[in-house]
Amino acid sequence: MIPIQNFRSFFALIFAIFFFTWFGFVVLPWISLGHLPPIQDEGSTDITPWDSSGEAHAGEHIYAADGCAYCHTQQVRPASSGADMIRGWGTAKDEDGKDVTRRSYPRDYIWQGQVFLGNNRIGSDLSNVGARYTDAAALYRFLYDPYLGDLHSSMPACRFLFVTQKISGQTSQDALVLPAADAPPAGFEVVPTAQAKSLVAYLLSLKKGYHLKPDEAGLPYVPPSTKS
Amino acid sequence: MATLFPTTVAPRGFVSTDPELAAIDASVRWPVLVCFLSAVHWMVVGTFLLVYASSLTHPQDAFPILGWFVTLSDNFSMFTYGRVWATAIDALVYGWASTAGLGLAVWLLARTSRATAGSPASLMTAVVFWNLGVAIGLTGIFLGDSTGVELLEFPAYASWILWIAYALFSLWAVATFLGRKPGNDHIAQAWLLVALFAFPWLYGAGSTLLTGDTAHRLPGSGVVQEVIDAWYVHGIYTLWLAPLGLAVLYYLIPKVSGISIRYGSNAQVAFWTWIIFAPWTAVHDLVGGPFPAQTVTIGLILSGLIFIPVALIGISLISTAFTAEGQQGHHGGVVFPFLVLASVAFVIAGASEQILSIRSANELLRFTMFRECNTCLWIYGFFSFIVFGAIYYIVPRLLDFGWRSATMVKIHYYTSLYGILLVIAMLGFGGFMQGQTLENTDPAVSIVTAVDVSLSYRIAATMCVSLIAVGNGVFALHLAWMLLDWLRLRVRGNRLAAEILLEPYEGDAAASSKEVAA
Repeated sequence: MIPIQNFRSFFALIFAIFFFTWFGFVVLPWISLGHLPPIQDEGSTDITPWDSSGEAHAGEHIYAADGCAYCHTQQVRPASSGADMIRGWGTAKDEDGKDVTRRSYPRDYIWQGQVFLGNNRIGSDLSNVGARYTDAAALYRFLYDPYLGDLHSSMPACRFLFVTQKISGQTSQDALVLPAADAPPAGFEVVPTAQAKSLVAYLLSLKKGYHLKPDEAGLPYVPPSTKS
Repeated sequence: MATLFPTTVAPRGFVSTDPELAAIDASVRWPVLVCFLSAVHWMVVGTFLLVYASSLTHPQDAFPILGWFVTLSDNFSMFTYGRVWATAIDALVYGWASTAGLGLAVWLLARTSRATAGSPASLMTAVVFWNLGVAIGLTGIFLGDSTGVELLEFPAYASWILWIAYALFSLWAVATFLGRKPGNDHIAQAWLLVALFAFPWLYGAGSTLLTGDTAHRLPGSGVVQEVIDAWYVHGIYTLWLAPLGLAVLYYLIPKVSGISIRYGSNAQVAFWTWIIFAPWTAVHDLVGGPFPAQTVTIGLILSGLIFIPVALIGISLISTAFTAEGQQGHHGGVVFPFLVLASVAFVIAGASEQILSIRSANELLRFTMFRECNTCLWIYGFFSFIVFGAIYYIVPRLLDFGWRSATMVKIHYYTSLYGILLVIAMLGFGGFMQGQTLENTDPAVSIVTAVDVSLSYRIAATMCVSLIAVGNGVFALHLAWMLLDWLRLRVRGNRLAAEILLEPYEGDAAASSKEVAA
């Protein structure tokens, strides 16, 4: 034990202890997980995972600014740790339309400018929300009035992401189809703003419909159990 | 049985009888007061925002008046839950706890070093810039510039202001510490130095690596961002706020109770084990996530050892309190009950971290309101009570002017006490129930079931946070009342100021009484 009277040794020890924690939480993860490349399929130019569109990346900013991550996670834990798979949060469809149900791996996140793993599940996990919703219109309706999606939803409505405007000529293509209680006055329509469009593009891009073997996923390889 | 609080409070006679300490108090009077006042202001703002945010997590049928909140939240992006929650927590952590912490550090560093503080102007500048940074940061979040990184939501244009403020402050702190009188070493200094050294490391690394332009953020780093953020968030609680608070407890408990810390020889062991193990509580946010399992396991083992410093510190502080009670028969004064409560809250907070470091408990509670319970424990349970006690102790010594009302202190104490106990109970037990539902192996159970289970706890939490808000409001009013009365008495010596404030001018009276005497 170094008392504070011996200031230099005291400070050096504090520095060493902080450095130890810093090494464990910043340097080591950066070395082991900071530069994961996508996996290139043999004999083709396809890569896994693939990057999402520019509009989806723009949606990350809306997701950050409006604090979606305080209620929604984007991580599916393995079956050995929690019931995330049973809730259906790890399920997405692959290219052939078959279900892929799996945990999330570090390599799933390499294209995201900002990662939102989240720490609270007031709402559902969004890792594969793009697989559960394939239709932008349904997501717009949910954002406009969550009760239309689920009567028990505790999500706040995001009407500020939409504008009510006068119909000039034909109804806009992306105007929301709303029940009478929510409908705008006659001659008006509710359309999503640019922010809503990029947010929904981002949400639709969230799906992990591809296979990764554990050793490819950025995690150390664990041999599969012999009985399967 | 003696009463917990005195029924009246002394109006005068607080200045230390030690002329050296009195001079030190006088030298830091204005920076410390400005810190405390702005901190209390942010506390009121943050608590109100927290009540608002909490009321948005459940249907408002029970409180029709809250319908206004919902209308606001639906139609204006400024008032949506995600922004209000972020501003509430940031106002409490940076505005309330950290600003008050800076004030405590100034006062305690000067006192433990037995050195009058030089250059109060630079300190004042630092405090002003700090508040400016917090204000701009919170405005930025409201306007949609939040970075979305937990506890680092302040946009880049606000965080560099905080940097300037902290740099100025730390220059002052280093100068004061180096100018300390030899032979004045106190365990509180060790805790203070850790906090003052940890904050720039944490905030510097966190804000440069995680916020700012996406192009300059760790490119393609993926989940590493979230590991760094977990390290930052828990570092702020365990290496910035906790050491600041413990420094105050180690200094003030002997001062107020009149007996030395019991088992004081353990204080050094507790100190080193705390700074080694406590920051590893960051791993609680990584269990089961997309990270190498071995690393998480090592982290859980290290963070699981947090019970050693928590037990050592808890036993020593709480047994000191009980011994003092046994010797003196009562707590004596308004300060001590808050400090005892803070010590107990420290042990409870440590216990909740201990629970989260058990893997199966972590899996159950990981994504539930138990985490909010943990946050509330650190901010409201532990740190706020320390600041309350310290303000009750320090401000009369700075102004030589007493608190106005024993009743208001009592109201503040009991609303804060029952408020925080109920919040912990509701969020803690609610988190357990929510976890039982979320981790249910029955596939028919969905997120909607978990929402339904947690609703009643959320409603209760809103009510209990409102109780805390009442207590905080009473405290803020009491502080304002005290300062106004102090000001009124001060201005009576100045004709112009007395006339403006409609106070009797005492200069004439003094002059005439002199004439009579002559």
